Amino acid sequence: MQDPAVLKGTKDGYEIILDDNAKVDDIFVSLHHLLDNLRTQTASANPQTIAFDIYTGMRLWSADDRSEIEKIFANYDYFSVHKITSDVITKEESNRILEQESVHIVDRIIRNGQEVHVQGDVLFLGKVHEGGKLLVSGNVYVLGDVRGVIQAGTPDFEDKMIIGDVHNAQQVRIGEQFEILDDTNRKIDNSTVIYVNDLHVLDYGKVEALKQINPKFFNQIGGVMNG
Amino acid sequence: MGKSYVITSGKGGVGKTTSSANIGTALAMLGKKVCLLDLDIGLRNLDVVLGLDNRIMYDIVDVATGRAKLAQALVKDKRFDDLLYLLPAAQNADKSALNQDQVVEIVDELKPDFDYILIDCPAGIEQGFMNAIAGADSAIIVTTPEISAVRDADRVVGLLEQHPLQESPHLIINRIRQHMMKDGSVMDVDEITHHLGVELLGIIIDDDAVISTSNHGEPIVLQPDNPAGQGYRDIARRLEGESVPLMELKDETQPSFWKKIGNWFKKG
Repeated sequence: MQDPAVLKGTKDGYEIILDDNAKVDDIFVSLHHLLDNLRTQTASANPQTIAFDIYTGMRLWSADDRSEIEKIFANYDYFSVHKITSDVITKEESNRILEQESVHIVDRIIRNGQEVHVQGDVLFLGKVHEGGKLLVSGNVYVLGDVRGVIQAGTPDFEDKMIIGDVHNAQQVRIGEQFEILDDTNRKIDNSTVIYVNDLHVLDYGKVEALKQINPKFFNQIGGVMNG
Repeated sequence: MGKSYVITSGKGGVGKTTSSANIGTALAMLGKKVCLLDLDIGLRNLDVVLGLDNRIMYDIVDVATGRAKLAQALVKDKRFDDLLYLLPAAQNADKSALNQDQVVEIVDELKPDFDYILIDCPAGIEQGFMNAIAGADSAIIVTTPEISAVRDADRVVGLLEQHPLQESPHLIINRIRQHMMKDGSVMDVDEITHHLGVELLGIIIDDDAVISTSNHGEPIVLQPDNPAGQGYRDIARRLEGESVPLMELKDETQPSFWKKIGNWFKKG
């Protein structure tokens, strides 16, 4: 029978594969054996710390069991856990990713004193009244009327953008950069892209220039790079 | 079974108390039985506006804490036999002297005996505001055409969305100065209504008589020819389900030809 914990070399370093059908207790025993063997084999005059990637296949390890694994590694001076990966995720995690990745349609009035937080991108069709705040972790595409504060890339993602007509807004913010529109003389219309440039300053461009402004985003939405 | 309305605004000084007194009086004039509840504890003045301040024996905190029966504390307005009552606020307590359950209890006790219960809300959005909306089935938001009042009204609409009442709120735009609205120096009625997204219940034209009559403890609705009084009477009829057209704003800045000539003679 194959050991429940097997060492494998990869181009990034060492990976320990834990059999997803084996009993957890058996895996722990096997892991101990494996590390004991490794310690004797790698014993040298100036040993270096080795960080292992641990791959658990189709089994999702609980937080308790994960810390158990780390405890085992803590017994060995020169071994540590780099990361634990698997092919499966929890529903909670998948929902989070789904939320993060999808474009949410927000069609409501955000009134004075109200704050709306959204994870992911937002297509905004509603109204932000003066004193209201729309705080989005991703990009914002504005078709509605913004007269309050609008932020993309909340709290500190500077690769996000605000696209659309926000000329009535009190403030635009991306990540940690902000601008009070009253103080600037920008021409903003429905083809304006607001983004953070290489100097970490808010900048204004046109949708036509999106390819230059943010090539990564342009690829993601399916634009043809070399077309 | 009566219906309770909270009259609120967020901002102070826009006419919540005046509106409460006048809408209440106008409803009583239509033959409805009305109880006004003053929740502006510590700074009561609904009684003064109605001219009932000399008749107060007990107040709402006395009722809530069991020192008095509800019937003992209600002050009757003798001008409308048995139709208009006031439950006054306490003077020597602060807004934390009441909680939401007590207000709900008092309103529930009043509902079988009255057609309308109008709750005069204190300014602000703290405990006093929460108490006031707890007892209400619907809200009447009072604002003026000033930006600061509209902003606060917007805030209050937002709070009401978070604590929804049975019915969506209504809007009164108070203190309209016709010439300023005509020349565009303040937001006009449509702009305010559209901005707030709240159903318009009525508009009240600014008039000096509103202040002078309230100084005598006599609500403006009792004056048959006054435009502000007319505004409040229209509101009462709309609350009763009648459809009353909105009052038209007159342009005061452009005096008529004959008036101009008249002024010319006066100057000479």
